[in-house]
Amino acid sequence: MGDLIEARKLTRFFDLGGNQLVHAVDKVSLTIGAREIVGLVGESGSGKSTFGKTLLGLHDKTDGEVIFRGETLPQKYRPADFQKLATKMQMIFQDPYSSLNPRMTVGEIIGEGLRLHFSLSPSDVKDQVVDWLEKVGLQADHMSRYPHEFSGGQRQRIGIARALILRPEFVVCDEPISALDVSVQAQVVNLLGELKETMGLTLLFIAHDLSMVRYVSDRMAVMYLGSLVELGKADEVYFNPKHPYTGVLIGSNPEPDPNLEKGRASTSIQGEIPSPVNVPCGCRFANRCPKVLDVCREKTPELISVKDEDRLVACHLVS
Amino acid sequence: MSDLTAASFAPLSDQQLSQSIARPSLSYWQDAWSRLRANKRALVSLYIVIVLLLFTVFGPVVWPVDPAMQDIDQISQPPGTDRTATLVAEYEPWFGTSGLPGAGLRLAEKATSQAVRLQWDALDDASGHRVYRNLFPVGPELSYGIPMAEFLNNDTLYFEDRLDLQPGRFYYVVVALDERGLITDRYQSISVDVERVTTLAEALERGLITESEAVQIGDKIALAWHPFGTDYLGRDLLARLMAGARVSLFIGIGAPFLFVLFGVVYGSAAGFMGGRVDQLMMRFADFVVALPFLLFMILFKIAFGIGPGESGVFPMLVALVVLLWPATARLVRGQILQIREQGYISASQLLGASTPYLIMRHMIPNTLGVVLVTVTFAIPSAIFTEAFLSFIGMGVAPPTPSWGSMSNEGIKTMLTTPHELFFPALFISFTVLAFNLLGDGLRDALDARMRNVE
Amino acid sequence: MTAAREELECATPLLTVEDLQVEFDTFGGTVQAVRGVSFSVDQGRTLAIVGESGCGKSVTVQSIMGLIPTPPGRITAGSARLRGHEILGRSTVRGKEIRGAEIGMIFQDPMTSLNPTMTIGDQIAEPLQVHRGYSARDGFTEAIRLLELSKIPEAAKRARQYPFEFSGGMLQRAMIAMALSCKPSILIADEPTTALDVTIQAQILDLMHELQKETGMAIILITHDLGVVARMADEVAVMYAGKVVEYGSADDVFYRSAHPYTVGLKEAMPTNDPARQHELKPIDGSPPDLFSPPAGCGYSPRCPYAMQICSDRQPQDHDLHGHHSASCWLHHAQSESRPETLFFKDAR
Repeated sequence: MGDLIEARKLTRFFDLGGNQLVHAVDKVSLTIGAREIVGLVGESGSGKSTFGKTLLGLHDKTDGEVIFRGETLPQKYRPADFQKLATKMQMIFQDPYSSLNPRMTVGEIIGEGLRLHFSLSPSDVKDQVVDWLEKVGLQADHMSRYPHEFSGGQRQRIGIARALILRPEFVVCDEPISALDVSVQAQVVNLLGELKETMGLTLLFIAHDLSMVRYVSDRMAVMYLGSLVELGKADEVYFNPKHPYTGVLIGSNPEPDPNLEKGRASTSIQGEIPSPVNVPCGCRFANRCPKVLDVCREKTPELISVKDEDRLVACHLVS
Repeated sequence: MSDLTAASFAPLSDQQLSQSIARPSLSYWQDAWSRLRANKRALVSLYIVIVLLLFTVFGPVVWPVDPAMQDIDQISQPPGTDRTATLVAEYEPWFGTSGLPGAGLRLAEKATSQAVRLQWDALDDASGHRVYRNLFPVGPELSYGIPMAEFLNNDTLYFEDRLDLQPGRFYYVVVALDERGLITDRYQSISVDVERVTTLAEALERGLITESEAVQIGDKIALAWHPFGTDYLGRDLLARLMAGARVSLFIGIGAPFLFVLFGVVYGSAAGFMGGRVDQLMMRFADFVVALPFLLFMILFKIAFGIGPGESGVFPMLVALVVLLWPATARLVRGQILQIREQGYISASQLLGASTPYLIMRHMIPNTLGVVLVTVTFAIPSAIFTEAFLSFIGMGVAPPTPSWGSMSNEGIKTMLTTPHELFFPALFISFTVLAFNLLGDGLRDALDARMRNVE
Repeated sequence: MTAAREELECATPLLTVEDLQVEFDTFGGTVQAVRGVSFSVDQGRTLAIVGESGCGKSVTVQSIMGLIPTPPGRITAGSARLRGHEILGRSTVRGKEIRGAEIGMIFQDPMTSLNPTMTIGDQIAEPLQVHRGYSARDGFTEAIRLLELSKIPEAAKRARQYPFEFSGGMLQRAMIAMALSCKPSILIADEPTTALDVTIQAQILDLMHELQKETGMAIILITHDLGVVARMADEVAVMYAGKVVEYGSADDVFYRSAHPYTVGLKEAMPTNDPARQHELKPIDGSPPDLFSPPAGCGYSPRCPYAMQICSDRQPQDHDLHGHHSASCWLHHAQSESRPETLFFKDAR
């Protein structure tokens, strides 16, 4: 169906002052096709959340571009830009506790998008809000209640309704389930899946739970310290990782299966994630990589396609 | 467990797992209100504040006494004193009563506020006499009091005192003078209780009786009632307190309201815009904080030049607003910086919200809790500042009453007529305490919500 | 206590908790946070207590450690015996301090669990000074040694640094060093890796495992992550709404799950075994309100197999073969449904 949104060498640095730059996202190129779910994983400092926000314009782009349906999006957004794109792309936020305004009723929160875009009568807005409340599994009389009266899972549903009421095509889900209990995570994931099917959505699913990302996504991308290190079909990346970091990540992911776990060799790596402020030259993973070569410390590997496979890897071992 | 039957183990019919919420919906303010109500101390303070506001607004309606009117007959009278005056004939001069019975220093007739007439016999070895009047009996240190008259020979052995006679007890001392006219330590003393009297003409003039009333000499007439007593100029203290309340509360509530409003606007703008603009704005606020407060208050007052007949309320208000807004601005800016990072701001941005909408609809309402608490604490601070400035004479100008200036006047007669100090000071203390406790209670009630405590 | 659990006791368990009940007075009423929890831990073994938020797992271990502030909290019933000696409500057992010396504890968020104004070395030395009478200098030297044991590089330099100079993973190691300073017989770890990245989590779990092998201490691991449980636990206690609903070895609980909640949890999690792919099946509804706990089984409103009796009466612990028990009416003799046919099982 063609590409929906493409990030080309998207870069976002934060200036800490005193010549210190946080390389949060560094030349990440990623294409997402229509109706696809791309999962984005990484640990803290990987820049995955920053990437999602920069993609939608919540952060200004330090470099690179974002192209949506062939149209290049602005480098720096003003409210008018957001207004124009609100019906095309939206975001579902991580923290259910701070992503809803505690002073607004649920009805006001969900209906905000409609009120900002269309001049509908209050009763039309109300009808749509009720419709969406039921779509996400809540009840109509919840409209007049306040966020603090709901559980985490219910608040995430409210956040989903708010994001989807404008019927966007592309939704970035920024760690939507990290703050929820296990039994509730499945509720939200299933809901997202259903809505994706009925509305034909394209999702960028950002999370740090590898198992969940593999379950949800068609393709999976792995980020480390601001760079994209691997990209491919979710199952293939999970069961056959080509980048050493991906291997370590998957190896560290505990599986709810005692025999499997106890039989598994320890793949824990030494050392800590370096600070994204003074990024080492060469491959960022070099200081912790179990398969490091000399060239890794000198030359930064490019993201290249693996022969005969639908896979992109940034590693000297592969090239 | 023998009561378990097969039916016990039958499957449960389909349970509707509802997402309904049992407890009633409470908005932020309703929840805060119920917490406040549960806090007894804060509730009592709230009632005191409400009573105070009613006192200020409706008091003069209920007690329509002119605070500037002087009741000469009742100068510096504490509350609850006898306020009757006996009707007497008009004053006629007196030159001693011959053949007065008794010996030594004695009253020629009943002591009234019209005249106190004393007569004595010459003291031993006296070449003359001097008459003193004192509020206290003469002690071993021989402080006789105020000299009233001096007689350098023994011919005149009587004296009539008509000077500022207030009802109450006076001590008259007659001291013997030696040949050279200097006082000796030989004296006689008498305590005199002065009774309040008034003449028919005065009573009519002051409106204490009407023309038609039939009164005669010897009748007792009631003077105006002053529930809290009078001050050193005979002005009704209650009326003055009400008028003073108006001034104190006008400044005490008006100034904080204005400077908090300004602080909110300034702080929100700085917090939202961020970057250099924010830095610049905050440096200016720091500059204002660095100005020495008292000095500038005084400077403002002088600069505005309080002319005669002007009360000085407005300049004080302006000065307070101009000097006190930075604290609120900083506070609000801090809140805004925090709120800016919250998810719902980004969510609104993505939905296409404009900047003014974001600030007005999302950011400022979430700072209101903090702002309200700030205002509630700023009020007692401003009331006290105004009282203090008026107390040192740098506040509102007389005759405009203010609790602070009333306290200033009351201090002068603290030992003799303490009520003149006591009531204004009490009102200041109560008001400041009530607002502070209310502020405490509000902060506790709103704080839980501010931290999104479940 | 059921027969199955008593058997476990005979193998000289280190810590035995029996019918622990804890409640809290709050603004909205009294919460029955823990409603009768029993388990035991042996030397050298790891017990994992699994449950979701609000099930009472943290409160359980905090009350054993005496960390519950007694107003508003209250231990209303139950006992906890360390080597046969009661420790609930006591601060010493046979002359040794329980908290910090006999039992060490590490917490979830290392950033907030350590004092930001003290150096790491001083903080690790503190229990030694308090419980073992070390001098400040000796304590500090020992602290450096403990940091090395926890695999922190440049331990001597690190000991002089402050918490803000450490990363999350290193802080957790420092906390482990601190907890182990007095050579406790039990280490309680309350969600030790929840706030950490998955690669760091692997390091910390490996470290804990190694230290256990070296010192022979028992570990009580609180977590909500079934993967972590599978990796670390020898025995598992599954908690729901203040009670233990299933208890047994890791194999029993994972492969022969006997409680609908355990099964529900497994079905709600994605698995990466290509042979056992399934659609995620969430558990509808939410945990019961512990202000007024239900008369019957706390899980029954959400249980697809609920029977009449489940909402009327609390189920007892039913022994299954081995040391495995589940608190569910389905296992009662009179129950017609056989769990083996109901539950998603795999035998390995």
